Amino acid sequence: MLEIAVHITQVLLALGAAGAVYRVYKGPSVLDRVISLDVMLIIVASMMIVDMVVNDHQDFILFVVVTAVIGFLGAVAIARYVVVRSPEEVAEETAEQDPFPEPPTSPVLPGVLGENEPETPHDPVSTPAMPGIDDKEDESTSWFSALTRSGFTPRPLDENDAAEEEAVDSEPAESDSAGSDSTESDSTVPKKQEDRDA
Amino acid sequence: MLESLDLDLVLDALASVLLVIGGLMSLAAGIGLVRLPDLHSRMHAATKPQVLGLLSLLLAAAITWRAWEWVPIVILAWGLQLLTAPVSAHVVGRSGYRTKHMRRDLLTHDELASAVERISKDQPPERR
Repeated sequence: MLEIAVHITQVLLALGAAGAVYRVYKGPSVLDRVISLDVMLIIVASMMIVDMVVNDHQDFILFVVVTAVIGFLGAVAIARYVVVRSPEEVAEETAEQDPFPEPPTSPVLPGVLGENEPETPHDPVSTPAMPGIDDKEDESTSWFSALTRSGFTPRPLDENDAAEEEAVDSEPAESDSAGSDSTESDSTVPKKQEDRDA
Repeated sequence: MLESLDLDLVLDALASVLLVIGGLMSLAAGIGLVRLPDLHSRMHAATKPQVLGLLSLLLAAAITWRAWEWVPIVILAWGLQLLTAPVSAHVVGRSGYRTKHMRRDLLTHDELASAVERISKDQPPERR
């Protein structure tokens, strides 16, 4: 009975590894590949556990212990790397995917899903190359300003936030550059991202 | 004699079930990695074999070895995984949010959006 279970388990693990390999090959971003490689690492450790079960030895248990630390370090290091490199990457992606970007000064009515790409930086000159190394910023909020600099403001999806946002939009006091940029990119976020993963 | 044989049979059956459960977890991770649409939902699928799959496989191994002295090491392996998997998932998800590797139209609620909006309005214009 144990042998049958071991064979079934090996087949299931192989199928899971195949899925992870497919995602490593296909994955649109580095982070997809990171999590897929984490899964593959766990599957390798699982294979070693299965081998220990079959042959009744304990030689690989140290690897299973070390696996946790290895996957953790790899994911953290690569995630930090992605954070620093992200604005150029996103700018490249959006430039590739949107052949006809509207000029950034074009007004977009709230509630109308425009065709322009909101994630394109509105002023590429003023977008710094490495916002993570910007000096004299509060560490806990520096990524907010990095997001803002890239011309991207998340769109609140529930109704309370939407009502709040419309109230803010109609205020004349918000007509400075910060307000206009954020309201401009608000309503255009969700349409375009369907095309990215398709 | 008969009792010990029965115990062996029961433990083997338990180990077999646990092995198949662990394999099913990694199969679920593979299917989820292939099928799910964006980074955060793929992360949801990818954490299945890291905790529950590894737990069941390690339990199966410990049951098959029939030795108590390996149980602390098994617990250590699983505990390390349990400690580090949320940290790496948090870091990957955070950088995924910051670098926009996500599909916002699939979210039901974005709790960070209001905070980002508030702070981005507080930013002075020369910082932008």
